[in-house]
Amino acid sequence: MKGWRPPAPFLLLLPAIVVLAAVVIVPLILSLYSSFTPFRLTQPASLYTFVGFRNYARILADREFWTAFGRTVLLLTVALNVEMLLGLGLAMLVEKATSGQRLLRTIMMFPMMFSPILVGFQFKFMFNDNIGLVNNALQSLGLTDQAIPWLIDGSLAFTAILVAEIWSSTSVFAILILAGLLAMPKEPIEAARVDGCTPWQTFRYVTWPFIMPFAYIAMTIRSLDVARAYDIVKIMTDGGPAKRTELIWTLVSRTAYADARMGLANAMAYVAILLSILFTVYFFRKLAAARTQIAAEW
Amino acid sequence: MNENTKARLNGLLLSAAHKIGLFLAMAVICLPGLWIVLASFRPTVEIMAKPPVWIPGDLSFDAYVAMFSGVGQGGIPVIEYFRNSLIVSVTSTAIALAIGMAGGYAFARFRFKVKSSIFLGLMLTRTVPGIALSLPLFFVYSKLGVIDTHFGLIMAYVALNVPFTIWLIDGFFRQVPKDLAEAAQIDGCTRWQAFWQVEFPLAGPGIASAGIFAFLTSWNEFALASQLTRSVNSKTLPVGLLDYTAEFTIDWRGMCALAVIMIIPALVLTFIVQKHLVSGLTSGAVKG
Amino acid sequence: MATVSLEKLVKRYGAVEVVHGIDLDVADREFIALVGPSGCGKSTTLRMIAGLEPISGGNLRIGGKIVNDLPPRSRNLAMVFQSYALYPHMTVRENMGFSLKIAGQTPEEIAPRVEEAAKTLDLTHLLDRRPSQLSGGQRQRVAMGRAIVRQPEVFLFDEPLSNLDAKLRTQMRVEIKKLHAKVQSTVIYVTHDQVEAMTLADRIVIMRDGHIEQVGTPEDVFQRPNSKFVAGFIGSPPMNLKDAEIADGHVVFSSGDRLPLPSRFRDRVTAGQRVTFGLRPDDLYPAGHGIHSGEDADVYRHDLHVILTEPLGNETLVFSDFGGAEWVGRMLNPRRLVSGEALPFCFDLSQAHLFDGETGKTLRG
Repeated sequence: MKGWRPPAPFLLLLPAIVVLAAVVIVPLILSLYSSFTPFRLTQPASLYTFVGFRNYARILADREFWTAFGRTVLLLTVALNVEMLLGLGLAMLVEKATSGQRLLRTIMMFPMMFSPILVGFQFKFMFNDNIGLVNNALQSLGLTDQAIPWLIDGSLAFTAILVAEIWSSTSVFAILILAGLLAMPKEPIEAARVDGCTPWQTFRYVTWPFIMPFAYIAMTIRSLDVARAYDIVKIMTDGGPAKRTELIWTLVSRTAYADARMGLANAMAYVAILLSILFTVYFFRKLAAARTQIAAEW
Repeated sequence: MNENTKARLNGLLLSAAHKIGLFLAMAVICLPGLWIVLASFRPTVEIMAKPPVWIPGDLSFDAYVAMFSGVGQGGIPVIEYFRNSLIVSVTSTAIALAIGMAGGYAFARFRFKVKSSIFLGLMLTRTVPGIALSLPLFFVYSKLGVIDTHFGLIMAYVALNVPFTIWLIDGFFRQVPKDLAEAAQIDGCTRWQAFWQVEFPLAGPGIASAGIFAFLTSWNEFALASQLTRSVNSKTLPVGLLDYTAEFTIDWRGMCALAVIMIIPALVLTFIVQKHLVSGLTSGAVKG
Repeated sequence: MATVSLEKLVKRYGAVEVVHGIDLDVADREFIALVGPSGCGKSTTLRMIAGLEPISGGNLRIGGKIVNDLPPRSRNLAMVFQSYALYPHMTVRENMGFSLKIAGQTPEEIAPRVEEAAKTLDLTHLLDRRPSQLSGGQRQRVAMGRAIVRQPEVFLFDEPLSNLDAKLRTQMRVEIKKLHAKVQSTVIYVTHDQVEAMTLADRIVIMRDGHIEQVGTPEDVFQRPNSKFVAGFIGSPPMNLKDAEIADGHVVFSSGDRLPLPSRFRDRVTAGQRVTFGLRPDDLYPAGHGIHSGEDADVYRHDLHVILTEPLGNETLVFSDFGGAEWVGRMLNPRRLVSGEALPFCFDLSQAHLFDGETGKTLRG
């Protein structure tokens, strides 16, 4: 094969592929293997015992796992939808502002620069039942004289986590939808107004069809790292109280590092990975469809 | 009432509602951050006070002084953490940018088979939750002996950042018209020269913002860092934050101060990046 | 009855006033063209009428009723935009029926009206396409179709033809004229192209810097421009306008060349007054090649050197030098000319214009 040169795009992509293979793919293959063993960090020899699907059978039959799984899906569904609605609202508020656009946009991006772990601490601080801003404010305003156990009661804790998650990620939606609003040609909107549309109808029939792909972009980008909710939950409740805010990721972490049952944890992790991949692929397809539509029509 | 007056009143009402809504939204966004900054300047007794003290009476830099006063005197090795964070973030960003530029250019300028599948495949590696990746990585790193080293963390962050960097840079190269590079080649440049002389400078601001985005991701990452670091050798700021938590108590004031230290570089960089970031994301995604 | 009245209409952006209190009465079923160079405020005025720009001062009446603060949807008008502003995600049929759907009509009511409009505009075979699948001219017709389906009282056109190529533009101009004859609505038409304004409008409104310079029929503004600006704006190629001074019954140009002062201006100027002398290219022609025979009393003959010619087939534009400036003349039944050639030219002074050198206003009585 003298004179054969690999095609340029292959060469250009090679470093990316090598790094990802070394740091992501190979370890994942390893963890896939270990998910078929009863591997414990404390007993290295256990890595070589093959137990087939026993770990998977165990987690499939595990109530605790399925509760965490269900809670994770619930958290993501609620969070993504609320973030999208709030982001849309925020973007439209900012777009309509006649002055201070630059400042408003910068403030809008503010939560994006907060490390998720920082968001966790920040809201743990604010929702603290004794000294937190939320309870202090409620008490000072006379709305309640009790200390609401935000992070101690199961469903309140879930709500608090949701609030933190939404606070930290609404920006992503707002920014991308704002970019869509700014890229949108103004004349179809004016035409709609002259055609007799109320502001709501203008939004419903003209603006929304245009910015929908931007919402999908935001969804796709968000779906790439939905797991950052792990950091928030880890700090705020660490899955507690009594595992009532346990997400699939905190469960994996506990099983692996606290219980040292790597094999089992890896099996769980694979389910978590599958979940992430499903989310991402779903939105990528939506995005591709929306993208062709917008390229063809606008 | 006159139809015109009614319409005008409606308009005034709407614009008032808009202003109020905007103000409330901005307040909700800013408040948590401002509260942290404020708390970092207040004495612990005031933070803990019951009933709450709303008007800060006693602001000081004590928390910051204490933080830097060294281990044993109520401080934490913040300088080391900051240094580790900086080394790891900067190095991994530089490497991710170099790899991302090559990859992004390939996606933006070449047609090849299964292009969209490769793209999706790259993105999917990013979706692997940090905690799920940390298990095998921890194992591999212990075997290789790179646990608690800068190198280990840098490699992990490069892999974390490459997919998204490629997405962004792909978008920025798409915005540079193909004709320009072709014109440069007709003017006598090689393809390589055309890239450095024409396409790179034009995509430059965008690439810089992709870099800042990668930097922020590394700077803020916790799930991997918490497992792959052990000591002051490689602990980064997000992990260092945990130094202020004990079994049952949290030193809120110190933690808030460290949070402020952590957020300042991010704040400055985000402010610089905001314009290009959005345009890169959308052009890459919409015109894909 | 859809009259449109502008009473001291003002538009301000912050401290900057861009439309300075203009007055205009548009009669029912009249075709009015707003014309002027870009930035003259014509589009802003149209958008105030449409309700797309808030009115900063004065009153706007449609059908006698003040509509200053009403949203566009309450004004019963239709607008054709420069970029057509079709809804890209709807088919032609949906685009055209959209306003009726919004108004709450049933699909059964909408369909025949869309079909009819489509037939008028020859769009029937395109009804199920998307705008992106149409050519520029077809999109333009859909935009017009969308407007006529509503059967509004007032049509607004914002430079509707400026994105089309020259040939299509001429064709669509005819279509619009036919359309107006058919639908009999009031039309306000904004354009920067004076030919469009001249060919389409009943009356032309010439705007400049947020003021109205002149309102009149096409003949009016062409033959009796009120100002140097209107004279230069209307007509193609534009009128020759040259600065000069009055001296002993003559118009004297900077080079010392002079033309006799036309008799009808004799009482209106004083010696030494600075003026601008205007003559249309039609009224400057090589002897024997003009619209007029050139034998009238008010024709001044003078030999000019040809600098350059632009043959157009049926006529040739001749550029020649007089009074230290370049003048354009029009040669009918043209023959070949070479540059440098000297020819006897006729200046038809009965058609000449004279404007005040300071104010630019006409000196005609």
